[in-house]
Amino acid sequence: MSEVLDLRPALPAALVALTGVVVLLAQAFTPKGQRAPSSALSLVGLVGALAAVVALGGGSARGAVLAGALAADGLSLFLQALILAVAILTVLLSPGYLRANGIERGEHYALLLFSVVGMLGLVSSLELVSMFVALEIMSVALYGLAGFDRARRESQESALKYFVTGSFASAFFLYGVALVYGVTGSTALERVTRSLGTASPAALPLAVLGAALLLVGFGFKVASVPFHMWTPDVYEGAPTTVTAFMSAGVKAAAFGALLRVFDYGLPSLASHWQPLVAALAVVTMVVGNLAALAQTSLKRLLAYSSIAHAGYLMSALVAPPALASEAILFYLVAYAAVNLGAFGVIAALAREGREPASVADLAGLSERRPALAAALAVFLVSLTGIPVTAGFVGKFYLFNAAVASGWVVLALVGVITSVVSAYYYLRLVVAMYMEAPLGEDRFAAVAPAAVLALSLSAAATLVFGLWPAPVLALARLAGRSLF
Amino acid sequence: MTPQLPHLLSLLVALPILGALVVALTPRGSESLAKLVGLGVSLAAFLASLQLVTAFKDVAAYQFDESVPWIPSLGISYHVGIDGLSLWLVILTTLLTPLCLLGAWSQIASRVKEFVLFMLLLEAGMIGVFVALDLFLFYVFWEAMLIPMYFLIGIWGHDRRIYAAVKFFLYTFAGSVLMLVAFLVLYRHVGTFDIPKLVAMPVAPWLQTWLFLACALAFAIKVPMWPFHTWLPDAHVEAPTAGSVILAGVMLKMGGYGFLRLAIPLFPDAALRLAPLVGVLAVIGIVYGALVSLVQPDLKKLVAYSSVSHLGFVMLGIAGLSTIGVTGAVYQMLNHGVSTGALFFLVGMLYDRRHTRLISEFGGLRAAMPWYFAMFLLISLSSIAMPGTNGFVGEFLILMGAWSASPKLVAVASLGVILAAAYILWMVKRVFYGELRNPKNQGLPDLSPRETAVLLPLVALAIVMGVLSPAFTRRIEPSAEALVRRVHAHVQPAPAGVAALLKAPAAQAPPPAPDAGNVR
Repeated sequence: MSEVLDLRPALPAALVALTGVVVLLAQAFTPKGQRAPSSALSLVGLVGALAAVVALGGGSARGAVLAGALAADGLSLFLQALILAVAILTVLLSPGYLRANGIERGEHYALLLFSVVGMLGLVSSLELVSMFVALEIMSVALYGLAGFDRARRESQESALKYFVTGSFASAFFLYGVALVYGVTGSTALERVTRSLGTASPAALPLAVLGAALLLVGFGFKVASVPFHMWTPDVYEGAPTTVTAFMSAGVKAAAFGALLRVFDYGLPSLASHWQPLVAALAVVTMVVGNLAALAQTSLKRLLAYSSIAHAGYLMSALVAPPALASEAILFYLVAYAAVNLGAFGVIAALAREGREPASVADLAGLSERRPALAAALAVFLVSLTGIPVTAGFVGKFYLFNAAVASGWVVLALVGVITSVVSAYYYLRLVVAMYMEAPLGEDRFAAVAPAAVLALSLSAAATLVFGLWPAPVLALARLAGRSLF
Repeated sequence: MTPQLPHLLSLLVALPILGALVVALTPRGSESLAKLVGLGVSLAAFLASLQLVTAFKDVAAYQFDESVPWIPSLGISYHVGIDGLSLWLVILTTLLTPLCLLGAWSQIASRVKEFVLFMLLLEAGMIGVFVALDLFLFYVFWEAMLIPMYFLIGIWGHDRRIYAAVKFFLYTFAGSVLMLVAFLVLYRHVGTFDIPKLVAMPVAPWLQTWLFLACALAFAIKVPMWPFHTWLPDAHVEAPTAGSVILAGVMLKMGGYGFLRLAIPLFPDAALRLAPLVGVLAVIGIVYGALVSLVQPDLKKLVAYSSVSHLGFVMLGIAGLSTIGVTGAVYQMLNHGVSTGALFFLVGMLYDRRHTRLISEFGGLRAAMPWYFAMFLLISLSSIAMPGTNGFVGEFLILMGAWSASPKLVAVASLGVILAAAYILWMVKRVFYGELRNPKNQGLPDLSPRETAVLLPLVALAIVMGVLSPAFTRRIEPSAEALVRRVHAHVQPAPAGVAALLKAPAAQAPPPAPDAGNVR
């Protein structure tokens, strides 16, 4: 019984949710004409939650709570720490950006915190229905965030598109859950695993269909082709800091849940879903990278790059859980730092509602903002997967996982599309370093908090590229909760 | 004897990186400080690298070995060491870098700080490639080096610099990613990334063919071998002088070095079977490069295409797979670094004065710039392999070494020697002899002391390496011999038919006889 009452594993999420409520209340009780300290409050709450995650990781209480629905195992703690770090960096980036766009309202932070609650739940769910609830908490808050810049039509469009496709994806997910429940009689992943192991062959097609529908649901969330159509529009229209948060945070949370469901819940169907995942990975890498080639808008380009990276991540999912989890978890860390940084640089340049929108707007950035340009160059090099960045080590592990499990073709497609990606990432570097600046300097001086966030991202990119062993060791440990 | 510095190889890699950090911290505007730091650091690295020569033992073993675990979960370690194949290439790198910085002293006017920074990072990357004894580490340096070179071409290059920079990057990146997959596949089958361990491990012949081809593509693009050479003229011509010198002097050597360090020792059976193909491509490169050089109106393009021809000789020596040929190939890599490096310096100096590189713009420069002419002539002679210069030793060893493999190829390659004399001497005649007709060439200043300081070491080396070649080759030879012996000793009986060379025996062919010994 004591297990059921042990609520410690839910502590980080509870702290974040509480902070969200406090931020809303503080907003309400702040006299007119004054600003509530929303970002500071959010930072305190998020850092507290991160401390709780670290304490849980060091302590012994790591079991399941709420009748086995939530767990504080290695996988969830690793990803929770990552998601909280992403949220902290986003909060650091936000004030300057919100001010520049005239949308400095406390609700932004509250929504951000609520979506973090959903993400934290998503990666710690051991049960499909609670996983669905967490997914919805995350998504609903994100719909609001995407449309947060109400005055801009693109932002509204972004929210609506995200909402419609997101609901569509949720329906697929739920249908998949229903089918899995129909076959196994349970939604708890542990029991799903056990009963699938002994299920009759007649039930197999239904179970595979269930797995496929779950994959479609996740496919939407991680922006894998052919479920990626919403990504460029949503990424482009949403406020840039929100895009940064979505691209890093949602990917981490959704891939964490994906690992959990498929490697922990459905390993006995692996021979059926692996080819599906492999096929998705191939089309995602190819389509994402080729489409990015044609983009001139910065945010759309990075959106397609984000699609392509979903493909790289998926190519490791075909490997046995130990290899797959180590590679994917490390890559999620590397990718979060890099993508947050890349979108962060764009956001940091925003002034009076304007930010660099197209590749050409970056021309000569190295002369006007040498440090920002250098940081963006580091992020782009890492996205391309060139040493000595975390992106290289990450891709090395992803492709190693694919090769080690016999999927050499995935690694081949991965490296060849990486060469394609080099072309469009280099275009930004060319603009920043090799072209002369055009016109007058229209962009902002960077806020100190944003400088801190970008420095942290850049430092993580380089340090994890040179010395990845500690993160890899943690990722390996975290992966143990899957098998 | 001075006491040996500890961790000498790591020091050589770390020194330029530390220097780059210092340069990055220098305040904006203090450009000569950045240049001084760069020059000082690269000179210090050169002096330190000389210790490698004095302490080197003439045996085949890896020396100055250092190994520290790096990424334990895949058994990757920071493992460095050198043998006779890499020793001189390290020295070449540490020699050319300070010369390039000195040569670019007044040439680079904009963003000096970044220039010095990228040069130092490039040096660290190049040394790293030559000393790495772990596949992962090798790949890290191999790729990381592309970035500074990309910036050097793209920022400080000539008119079509952006096109050339992107082309250079994409070409070499495309080549190397397949090598990365080959490393991963190899790891899956053998379970280590450590090169000395890998050398001792047999790999199934069908797998060797694939892996050799994947690595060979990466290296062939870097060399560059015909028909993978098309990035080279663009990159060389558009790069600033320092970039061209490093590109030709050191980076092209990495292709040949890659064959010697990885492709051949790791996949000896495939290497032995595919050597004739490499030899043929090498000879095509020799003749093609020479013919194209012959018709170039642009001095820098001429030197660039002559590199295709000269590197063809290097590959021919490697393809011969004999001790003499491989020794000659390594020696020729050094020669090419010295003489073509110097030629790019010389062309650059002329460009600084006249802002053109068209041969037709010149003529009769002998009278205007006698010292310049003297240096140019000596280097030209070394480039066409005059006896007494370094080029002769290298080409002679290569042709001799390749003879046992294929007299026919050697016969065709010799054409290249003659053509080299033709295109170089004809160029010298058009630029320096005759009357000084073009008024713009009147009163061109001769070499400045700084320029003399850049050229003199290279010219002196060209002669010293020509007369004292054994001092160099005796350090190369043991390693070359060990490599060749490994290739010929470990040969596994080749399965019959092309299909059997490319497919896993378990999947397609019937199981081989138990005594075949080629299935692990």
